Order: sequence, then structure tokens, then C-alpha cells
Amino acid sequence: MAVSAKSEHDRGTGAWLRSGLPWIWLTAGTVSVSLVMVVGLLALIMLRGMGHFWPQDVAELTLDSGEQVIGEFADHETVTAARVRALGIEVPEGQEFVERYLVKTGNRDVTGTDFRWVTGVHLAETRYPEAVFVAEREEWGNFYGFVEGLREGDQAVATGGDPWPEIRARMARTEELRQRIRDIEKDEMGAVNYQLEQLRLRTRALELEEAAAGDPRRAAIATERAALDARYEALAAELATLYESIGRDTLIARTSSGEVRELPFAGLVRLFQPNAMGIGDKLLHYLAKATEFVSDEPREANTEGGVFPAIFGTVLMVMLMSVFVTPFGVIAAVYLREYATQGTLTRVIRIAVNNLAGVPSVVYGVFGLGFFVYFIGGSLDQLFYPEALPAPTFGTPGLLWSSLTLALLTVPVVIVATEEGLSRIPRSIREGSLALGATKAETLWRTVLPMATPAMMTGLILAVARAAGEVAPLMMVGVVKLAPSLPLDGNFPFLHLDRKFMHLGFHIYDVGFQSPNVEAARPLVYATSLLLVVIIITLNLAAITIRNRLREKYNAAEA
Amino acid sequence: MALSNLPHHISQQFDKELEDIRSKVLAMGGLVEDHLQRVIEAFAKGDFEQAEYVAVNDYKVNALEVEIDSDCTEILLRRQPAAGDLRLVVAVSKTITDLERIGDEAEKIGRLILNVGNPTALRSYYVGMLAMGHHVRRMLRAALDAFARMDSQAALRVAQEDRDVDAETDVIMRHLITYMMEDPRSITPVLDAVLSLRALERIGDHAHNICENVIYLVEGKDVRHLALEQVKQELEASHAAEE
Amino acid sequence: MTASPEGAEQPAQSGLTHGIGAQALREGGSRARVEAHETCLEVRKLNLYYGAKRALNDIDLLIPTKQVTAFIGPSGCGKSTLLRCFNRMNDLIDDVRINGEVLLDGHNIYDRAINVAQLRRRIGMVFQKPNPFPKSVYENVAYGLRIQGVKSRRVLDKAVERALRGAALWEEVKDRVHDNALGLSGGQQQRLVIARAIAIEPEVLLLDEPASALDPISTLKIEELIYELKRDYTIVIVTHNMQQAARVSDYTAFMYMGDLIEFGETRTLFTTPRRKQTEDYITGRYG
Repeated sequence: MAVSAKSEHDRGTGAWLRSGLPWIWLTAGTVSVSLVMVVGLLALIMLRGMGHFWPQDVAELTLDSGEQVIGEFADHETVTAARVRALGIEVPEGQEFVERYLVKTGNRDVTGTDFRWVTGVHLAETRYPEAVFVAEREEWGNFYGFVEGLREGDQAVATGGDPWPEIRARMARTEELRQRIRDIEKDEMGAVNYQLEQLRLRTRALELEEAAAGDPRRAAIATERAALDARYEALAAELATLYESIGRDTLIARTSSGEVRELPFAGLVRLFQPNAMGIGDKLLHYLAKATEFVSDEPREANTEGGVFPAIFGTVLMVMLMSVFVTPFGVIAAVYLREYATQGTLTRVIRIAVNNLAGVPSVVYGVFGLGFFVYFIGGSLDQLFYPEALPAPTFGTPGLLWSSLTLALLTVPVVIVATEEGLSRIPRSIREGSLALGATKAETLWRTVLPMATPAMMTGLILAVARAAGEVAPLMMVGVVKLAPSLPLDGNFPFLHLDRKFMHLGFHIYDVGFQSPNVEAARPLVYATSLLLVVIIITLNLAAITIRNRLREKYNAAEA
Repeated sequence: MALSNLPHHISQQFDKELEDIRSKVLAMGGLVEDHLQRVIEAFAKGDFEQAEYVAVNDYKVNALEVEIDSDCTEILLRRQPAAGDLRLVVAVSKTITDLERIGDEAEKIGRLILNVGNPTALRSYYVGMLAMGHHVRRMLRAALDAFARMDSQAALRVAQEDRDVDAETDVIMRHLITYMMEDPRSITPVLDAVLSLRALERIGDHAHNICENVIYLVEGKDVRHLALEQVKQELEASHAAEE
Repeated sequence: MTASPEGAEQPAQSGLTHGIGAQALREGGSRARVEAHETCLEVRKLNLYYGAKRALNDIDLLIPTKQVTAFIGPSGCGKSTLLRCFNRMNDLIDDVRINGEVLLDGHNIYDRAINVAQLRRRIGMVFQKPNPFPKSVYENVAYGLRIQGVKSRRVLDKAVERALRGAALWEEVKDRVHDNALGLSGGQQQRLVIARAIAIEPEVLLLDEPASALDPISTLKIEELIYELKRDYTIVIVTHNMQQAARVSDYTAFMYMGDLIEFGETRTLFTTPRRKQTEDYITGRYG
């Protein structure tokens, strides 16, 4: 009886195996796991990244020692009592586990740290006083505390009951001044400095060609330099006035420990009272912060402010790469598919091209550094920029070399995709064109290549997807932590291929692992990652849209 | 290039259809030959029953013609025959018209015999036609044989005999005219005999046409309105070319 | 069989002993003079090899001017291959070797000095499947002229309209000449391709099974068009459809296994073929 039951069972399992159902489950399961991982990753990044800008309530904690702590709850964990005791914190007997809270207290200039742990058992009282305010500063991170007073120069300003209207008015004035200072420093003085540098190089060039002292060009340069110097002086004078003016107002604030600090308005970026804000105010604040993130420059070793230069650098570099990689890949594919005799050699080349796509990207970085930067760049400097030497112009990592290195990295993808597209174009179309008296080149140019554009776009999409996410080779050939200026600006020739640039991928690495204040920067890492993903998706969607439009145009012929 | 030794069509059904119309033509030919035989017997032996039989039964010939004609139309429609097949259908289509005419002529003779009504008169006026009747009947049979065997040489020989028939007709005609001149009262029955004679001569012509159809069917040459010697030369030339 | 006007026989060839070809030659089946018309293309002892395989055997043929010549025969008999020899389309295939001559106006088109692109402007071709370019109707028709460097809008407009009228397509597409040609029906596409071919005013039009992918009505329209085009062009058509060959052509060539078995006036070939193979094929006894 038992035996027969067993065999029946075996038969059941065997039948199930033979039915092919396990395969369906296995394959579907694999897909589900991949899907869950991708969706989970995106969800995590979105959750963490998007929450970063939301103004959290600021708590005033009273410890049982009577100490006051003001700050935002950043994290909490449960640890064993023994571990806490080992840190020298008293924990009542018999308690095995302890709650610990990580509080972002800010005021690094006062306490020397941004965060502190508060043990749950020592927490006597938690309050959210409306009067508490948060100041985002140019330096030293956030300040948490209470307003004590306001000073204009050396005179205290009477504020009556509510100091905030007066503070806001002065913040607005400061903001205006700061904007003006930035304009002068960045644009006007930047332009003057650039021109002065050009003059210096021209002088150096004259020296190199050993022009006579009486050369009229020297006189011209001297005249120009005098004019620029005068302009510089004027700007410097204006700047001095502005700096004096912006330093007029000071906010006086008290920290949690009762210490009174003076906060010059010039150093304040944003002032707000999170506990007093309604949901609408918080939303506005959130939007303002998010806008700042994508449109402003970074502050405080990239841990504060925006990432605009990195976005700009990433997009510009990818676009330049596309400009380089498309013609190269397409031309190579056209030769391989249309002109080369299909034999062993072409097959070997094809295999080599495919394998090129598998070379680790760091290797490309090393190659780019050695070949592009030192060899080609160095030669270019010798030939065309001798006046700047020993300071390199192209002989140093820069935008051009980064784009070229990534183009090299992605060219196999474009070649393979284009070849695939070319091979899919029906012979009848080519014959149709040839039968009308077109030569092979005319046929290729007028009919075959336009029809292969969707495939080329597919190649480009894949190339962009790969290039935008690549960091390792860029670290060697042009990306920096902080670029002083964008590679595209108002000074001739506008696009500066020799400049170093910032990149979101590198920014993530830098903020996440190289910043002095890793805890504070963590949310920023998520936000930046989110941004990078969004940018790559946007670039791809744009390319996909173009491809689909092309495909629609040519589809029927391929079918 | 005789059709009979061609391989089968890819479509067996087509083979069957072609075979079908061919055998129906032969059946119709048999029926017509039988009618002709009967009228000849009728004036040979004064057998009015035979004459009546032919006069009454001609509808069968007509019915067969209609049937074969519609078969031909159907084959043209369905098969769009080419080359030998096309020539077969065309030849059949023409041959059945000739056969139907022969049937009509036989019927006409039958009715003319019934008009005479008197075996003696019959014998005196028709006796000259007996040999010619047999001759014409042999021609018809030979033509049908040539058709059945697709033998253009035989068909050519049969076609040549038509001239003998024409000559015989002239002789008999003169004879009959003598009767009329001798005795004006005999004019009415003799005129009937003349009409019968004319009918027999027409039958010879139709047999000749059938032979031409056979030549067209086998050789693909349209030999109508050509002198027989010319036809003969052409056939010999083309056969020589084929050797 | 000398009754047919083109039936003058070729004297027996000596020294040719291979297969049907030699036999056919001896009997005068593969070469026939078309005396009633001028000769447009003359094929002389044309052989074609795919690698080691011989696909055309000693073809001798005269294509009459401004007449429709049809090539019929079972699949793989070499009729399309022969057609493609006339505008050197076989050059595109690797491994093809050709010897013999094809004379156009007395010049061998396989001569080294011949510019193939120029040749193809004189000998246009339409393929089995409609193959319009994925461009507008207008650009399709103007393609050949643009290749020749015609830029004037006025000239192109005129040529496009004339070609479309010539291909009996103008009335159907005159309101959408700038729409994508792939939006046309199969029959319209095929007529468009014909318009594209006649826009450059060739002397010869090669049609490679032009109606085999079309429905019966479109097929009839193409056949009607062929009838019209005959006035201005020498037409050579390859077709699987014997009825079609019978309908549209003036002369017919029957090919079998790379040999030209029989060539003659269509009405003669279809009623009284001289060769048994021809008879077997056209009456459906083949195989």
C-alpha cells in the first residue's frame, strides 16, 4: 500500500517535471527577481533622494542631566546596553537594549560636530518650539537656535515683538547684494581675467618668436592691458563697496546651550523656522531647495548647494561623445558591411570589435590618459600652444579627451548596431536603386543609410546609456571634484574643450566617500544618484523617440 | 507529335475531361453514322420505318452537340488549355458542329423519303444515289477513325475523297435532270431527290471539314481553303523537319 | 513548320554535344530570327556560371524592338538570370562568371569600357516585389533624375507627372505625391516602381515577374500598362504565369534547365509549339 502510494507520488512529480511547468516558473521567477531588484533600487533612491529637501521639524530635547539639545532626528537604532555602557554612558541595571537617536545638531562652529547620539533612557523631554530657527550658511553647515536680536553695523535694531519681518527684509537685501557680487566676480571680472590671460599668452608668444622691443604688437598689447587693468580696478572698487555693504547686518542668535553667536547676514543662505511652517510653506521650501539643487553651484566641499556644474558637465560630455562616436561607428560599420570583402579578415575584425566592448572601462581611462592626454595633447601643446608652456593646454585631462575616451569605449556598440541595421535593409531596395542607374555610393548615401538611421540611433542609445554612467575612466581623463568654470561660457571660443569638468557620477563618488562629513552628505548622494538616473533616462527617451519616429518612416520597407 | 503519346497532365482530372469530350465526340459520330446508315437503307430498300426513325431521333444528335459544346466551354473556362489541348477543344467544338449538320442532313433525307411515300418511285429516282451514299458513309467513318486515332495522313486521304463525291454528284444530278425533262409530272419527286442528293454531298463536305479539323488538331495547321496538294506538301515538309 | 514567319531554321551546329542545348540548337529551337522587327538586344552564345554550376547554356536570342518578349519556364530554369544579364544585375552576386555577348546597339554590354550605371539608365528594371524607397511618391519617381544631377524643380515636376501618367498612376496619386510611397497599395506600388523606371526614359524595360505578388485586378492593370508601354519601350518580361505571357507578349521564349528551348511568336508558341518540352510545359504536363 505504502509502496504504491510512493510510486504514485513519483509519477506525480515526474509528470510535473515533464509538463514543462518548472521551466516556466524558473524563467518567470528569474525575471521577477531582476524586476524586483531594479524597481527596489529605483524606489530606494527616489525615497531617500527626494526626501532630502523636505524641511524636518526641529526638536528641543531636554536630557535628564539638564542639558538642552536642538536638532533634527536623523536616524535611530537599537543597541545592546553593554555596548552603550562600554562607551561610558550610564544605563539603568536590568535593561538589555537601549534606543539611540542620531540627532543632527548642526552648529559645527560651536560644538565641532554636526551630529550627536542621544540615548533614549536619558531623554527627559522632547518639544518642538516654534521659535527655533534653522540657518543654512555658506560655511560651517546649519545653525540651529533662537533669535536674540539684530544689529546693523554696531547699532542694535529694535524689532519690537516679532523680529522676523525685519530679518526677512534684511535677508532680501543681502541676497540682492550677493547676486550682484556674484555677477561681478563670475562674469565681469572673469571675462577681464580671461582677456588678461590671453594678453599674457600673446606676450609670451611674442617673446618666443623673439620679436623686437619696438614691435607695434607689443604696444597694442600694452594699450589693451592698460584698458583692462583700469576696468579691473573699477570692478574691484565696486566689489569692495559691495562687500562692505553686505557685511552691515548681523543676526544675533542663541544656541541650545545658551551660547550667543553673531551670524553675519553675508554668510547666511537661508533662514527658516520649520516648526512654525505649515504644509504649504514646507512645500515652497522644498521646491526652492530642489531648484537650488539642480541649478546652483556646490558649496562646502560639494556637500551643500547644487550640482548644476555636474549636470552640465555630464550632459555636455555625453553630447560631445555622441558627436564623435556616431560618425566613427557608422563609417566603420559601412566599410565592414558594404565595402569589405566578407572573409576571414572581416570576421576577425568583427570579433575584435565585439570584444572591445568587453574591455574594462578603467583600461580605456589609462589608454586615454597615455594616448590622448600625454601623446596627442602634449604634441598639440608643442605645436599650437607653446606660449602657455610649461602650463599644459591640451596636454592635461579635459573635456575633449574625456569625450574621445568614452567615444572609443562605446564605438563597438555603434558599429554592431549599425551593421545589424545595414544587414536588415532588403536587397530589393539596393537593387531598385542600382537599376535606376545609381552607383553603389549613391545608393548607399541616398537610400541605404537613411533607412539604417533607426539602427544607428539604437546604437547611439546604447552608447549614451553606457557613457553617461561611466566614471572610472573619466577620473583619469578630465573629471574633477570642483571645476572653477563651466566648459561653455561667454568667452570666445565659448566651448572650451581643454577645460576640466564636473560629472554627476564622480560627484556621487566624491560626496559619498571623499567628503569630510559623510553623514551629512548621505542624502545628497541619493539625490544625486536620482538625478543621474533621471538624466540618463531623459537622454535615452529623447533618442528612443527620435528612433521610433524614424522607424515609423522606414518600417514598412523593412517588413 | 501525336497527342496520344504525350505524358499525363499534372492534373489527372484535366486528362479525364479531355478524354471525356473526345469519347463523346466519337459517340456522337457513331450516332450520326447510324442515322446515315438508316436513311441509306431506307431508300435502298424502301424502308419507310427507318426513314421515320431518323426523322424522329435527330434530337438526340442535337442534344449531344449541346452537351459537348458546354463541356468545351467549361474546359476553356476552367483549364485555359494551351497548345495541343487548346487545339483539341477547338477541333472538337468545330467537329461537333459538322456532325450536327450531318445529322440534320440525314434527317432531311429521311423526311424527303417520307414525302415520296411510294417505294417504286423511290427506287427509280434514288437508285443512283445508293453507291454515293455508301461512299459518303465510308468517308464519315474514316474521318471519325482519323479523329479517334489522331491520324493526319488518314485524314488527308479522306479529305481527298470529297472530290470523288463531288464528281459523283454531278453525274447523278444530270441523271435526275433527264428525268425531269422526260416527264414533267416527275418534277416534284425528282426535286426531292435532288435535295437528298445535295444533302449527301453536304455530308461529304462536312466529313471533309472533320478531316481538316483532325489535321489542325494534330499538326496545328489551318488547312481550310487550301488546295489539297498544298496541304499534302506542307504536311510532308513539316514531317521531314521533325525527323 | 516553316509556315510561321520567324521560322527560318538555324543550320545545325557541330561540336556541341552537351545535353538538351545542343539538341535544341540542331533543331533550331534556341535561336530564331525575328525578321518582322528591328533587333534591340542580341544575345550571342551567352553562358553564365554560379561558381562551378552552369546556369545558362549557350543562349542565342534576338529581342525585337518595341515588342513585348516573355520568358517562361519552370522555376530555376534561368529565365530571371538571363533577364538580369541584360542590365548586368548579376554583377552584384559574388561567384558569377559570364561569357558570351549581349549586344545593345551593336555594343557588347559586357565590354570593359561600358559604364554599368549608364547602361542601367538605358535598360530599366522592375522587380518581382514592389520595392519603392521609403520616401514620398514624388521622390521615388524623381530618384533616377536626381541621380543624374537634375535639380530644376520645374523639370522634375514635369518628369514626375509624365512618368506617373505613363504608368497610369497619376489620377490615383496626384493629390498625394508628397505622401510616403509605402502608403500605396501593392498594385499602386508596382506601378510606381514602373513609373520610377520610365522616368529616366530607358530604351528597354526588364520586368521580373512584375505581377506575381499582386491581386488579379492589379495584375490586369499592370498587363494593360505593359500594353501601353510597348509603344515606347522594348519590354522583356519574366513570368511564371503562362496565361499572362500569352496575354501580354508578342514573342515568347521557353527556357528549361538553363537552355533556351524554343523562341517564337507568342500565338504560334502557345498553339503549336515545335518542341515537345514546350508543349509539355505549357499544357501542364511538365514534371
